[in-house]
Amino acid sequence: MLGTLAQMGAGFVNALTPINLLMMAGGVAMGIIIGCMPGLSAAMGVALMLPMTFKMAPETGLIVLGAIYCGAIFGGSISAILIHTPGTPASAATAIEGYQMTLRGQAGKALFTACYSSFWGGLLSCISLYFFAPLLSQLTLKFMSAEYFWLSIFGLTIIAGVSSKSIVKGLMSGALGLLISTIGLDPITGVKRFMPSSYFAEGINTTCALIGLFSMSQVFVLAEAKIKERARATKFSDKMSLTREERKMIRPTIFRSWIIGNLIGILPGAGASIACFLGYNTSRQFSKHKEQFGKGSIEGVAGSEAANNAVTGGSLIPTLTLGIPGESVTAVLMGGLVIQGLTPGPELFGKYAPMTYTFFAGFVLVQFFMLGIGLLGCRGFAQISRLSDAILIPCVTVLCFVGSYAIHKNIMDMVVMLVFGVLGYAMRKFDLNTAAVVLALILGPIGEKGLRNALRTSNGSISVLFSSVVCWVLIALCVVGILSPIFMAKMEKKAEKEAVAGTDEDIEKLTEEDSV
Amino acid sequence: MKKILALLLALCMVFALAACGQSAKPAATEAPKAEEAAPAEEAAPAGWAPNGTVHMIVSYKAGSGTDNTARILAQYAEKYVGQTIVIDNVEGGSGSIGWTQLADAEPDGLTIGFLNLPNFNSSITQEMGAYTIDSFKAIANHVTETSIVIVRADDDRFPDLASLVEYGKAHPGELKASTNGPKASNHIGAQAFANSAEFTYIDIPQGGTADQLLSLRGKEADFCVVKTADIVGQESEYKILGVFDTQRMASLPDVPTLGELGYYADWLGSSRLLAAPSGVSDEVISFYEAAFKAAMEDPDYLAAAEQAGVGTDFKDAAATEELIAQQQTFAESLAEGFWYE
Repeated sequence: MLGTLAQMGAGFVNALTPINLLMMAGGVAMGIIIGCMPGLSAAMGVALMLPMTFKMAPETGLIVLGAIYCGAIFGGSISAILIHTPGTPASAATAIEGYQMTLRGQAGKALFTACYSSFWGGLLSCISLYFFAPLLSQLTLKFMSAEYFWLSIFGLTIIAGVSSKSIVKGLMSGALGLLISTIGLDPITGVKRFMPSSYFAEGINTTCALIGLFSMSQVFVLAEAKIKERARATKFSDKMSLTREERKMIRPTIFRSWIIGNLIGILPGAGASIACFLGYNTSRQFSKHKEQFGKGSIEGVAGSEAANNAVTGGSLIPTLTLGIPGESVTAVLMGGLVIQGLTPGPELFGKYAPMTYTFFAGFVLVQFFMLGIGLLGCRGFAQISRLSDAILIPCVTVLCFVGSYAIHKNIMDMVVMLVFGVLGYAMRKFDLNTAAVVLALILGPIGEKGLRNALRTSNGSISVLFSSVVCWVLIALCVVGILSPIFMAKMEKKAEKEAVAGTDEDIEKLTEEDSV
Repeated sequence: MKKILALLLALCMVFALAACGQSAKPAATEAPKAEEAAPAEEAAPAGWAPNGTVHMIVSYKAGSGTDNTARILAQYAEKYVGQTIVIDNVEGGSGSIGWTQLADAEPDGLTIGFLNLPNFNSSITQEMGAYTIDSFKAIANHVTETSIVIVRADDDRFPDLASLVEYGKAHPGELKASTNGPKASNHIGAQAFANSAEFTYIDIPQGGTADQLLSLRGKEADFCVVKTADIVGQESEYKILGVFDTQRMASLPDVPTLGELGYYADWLGSSRLLAAPSGVSDEVISFYEAAFKAAMEDPDYLAAAEQAGVGTDFKDAAATEELIAQQQTFAESLAEGFWYE
């Protein structure tokens, strides 16, 4: 044990060379830029940098890739907050509250919260990486088809959480998303489903749909308001930092999101885009200020951002211990490892421990660089929120088109984005929930494949869905997920009735919750 | 003033993104650009040589297996091609979108790409794109991976291939094999094995090879067919029971071929090869054939490829062309009676 601790310490000493520090700063900065551009994903950034790392020392190479990864996951929140355009799907949930804060003139505060929570989420995720990697890797092997089915069902219960106004409309949106997720080749038999051309073979691209539903529809909404000649206040006082009370308030949120993000990160295929929704929803369920949600809650931003950055450390666990990468970023990272002649597995913690612990130490230090660079950059980025709509609308439109084109350099992606933009606009008009569509689009294929494969392994007997402890834990979580909003609303109503109510605002709130 | 600053920032974002779409990729492969142009002339006996950046289409996303090996090759081939080589990842449509783009590319020799057998052949039989094998001219084969049958290392039920077959025959509908997708390469392998050995199994399709192996390790599946490179570094986790080849592999001298035991007797596996749109002239093909041959024999390339577990297998244009045709015949033979229904 003492030997291990000494190796961990030595890792920090090795990581603190000038070249490593320079690479961390450069990697984080590059990652943030890649992340905040819609269409450029963390995986793409890491893959593009990979050939450059061939000639570096293994630990330096891995640190660069890790820095880009962390930076990109955080960077996605910048555009999500400022222009309702999640730079990566991992920040989809951040856009919900973050953009509301921007509309209230608190862009700076939202960016600070995102940066601060990302930092803690990432830093805490290192704890599990350092001390529980071999133990947690066993969890990866416990998740088979049936478990993935329940995980997706649990994820879908969040729809109840994100649709604060009407659960029925939320469910309708979710069903629409699930329906859209069936487009493409059947995952089990390979039959073509609802495919006008082979472009749709792999289904609707989530990123295109996301840009359309979130950003393009936002452009339409803004443009409509502009046409209606709505005056817009552009002057406001906006503080970059959080007060002591606010920091204290988001502390438990960050802690919960760390656990969620870390666990989701360990599971291959799940990833940051699900973690951000789970983190957001949990922050909402436990919040003492539920009335803030939907109107720009710092807890909502913190919950989503801490969770998606906590995924980074978690997803490294199965990659390094089992050689099973959790998502495309870590798949590239593993490619980097193998090219350096290192094989994932126990050897990384034995024979190659000095290298591994240097990489871990680098990963810890990267979080500090992310905090520093993020806060510096946010000051500049926050200025964007002060632009008038007349400038913002064309800029975001261009960003939407270029962003969706950049993913595959395919014109069809732009068409899909535009179709989803119109769909998103129509949905907003009917008070349907665009976030629920995105959630269902991500979770639908996971759930479908899980259910059908589980039934194949059991020759059609549904008992397989209830055959493991993990299944039952997930079922319990689903039940809690579904019932808690209803239960909480009742509790609140009771509390409010007991309090000396009477103001108009309270009555309004009551009627709002009645519809839940 | 602040407004102008903010506007500038917003514009920067837009332009940086536009630039990223084009320049990020060259930047990644440009680094080790050829210092000396001389070898390029050596490698080109014919008169033709590329007069601009060469684009190499990879039909899978950045970071995929094909992408990784393509980037290694591109890095060392620049020296012999004499131009910058840019990798274009045109993913989607199970590869067919990239191959459509390659088939339709200007036949000026500045756009070449990778074809992945047997997925490329399946995309033709499944009518995923408007191209056929005649829409392309082969340049050279790059990587060949042979399929193998594996089980978990600690699975005592199956010490050898015969015991697996016996179990499958004795317990119909119980044996499960994870695959890398419906009718994908490893599903074809499992099915060819089961058909030839006359046992039945249930396939558990997964999204890719990583998930396929996880399914085996998580004990959801009993066996699976993968390619040799898929388990590099993880050999201790699995037992290799048989190889899909006409003779034993040099790297696995103790593992029998399926044919030895009376099962599927041909070679089965996957290939990644370089091809150009069919309109290019023969000079272009012979230029690239020589250039990539030189690159694949370059000691620096070989060292890098070995570290990455890339099994380089150069075949000249004629032999590669033959391989494509043979795999196409095989893919078409899978139509009737091959799959369980």
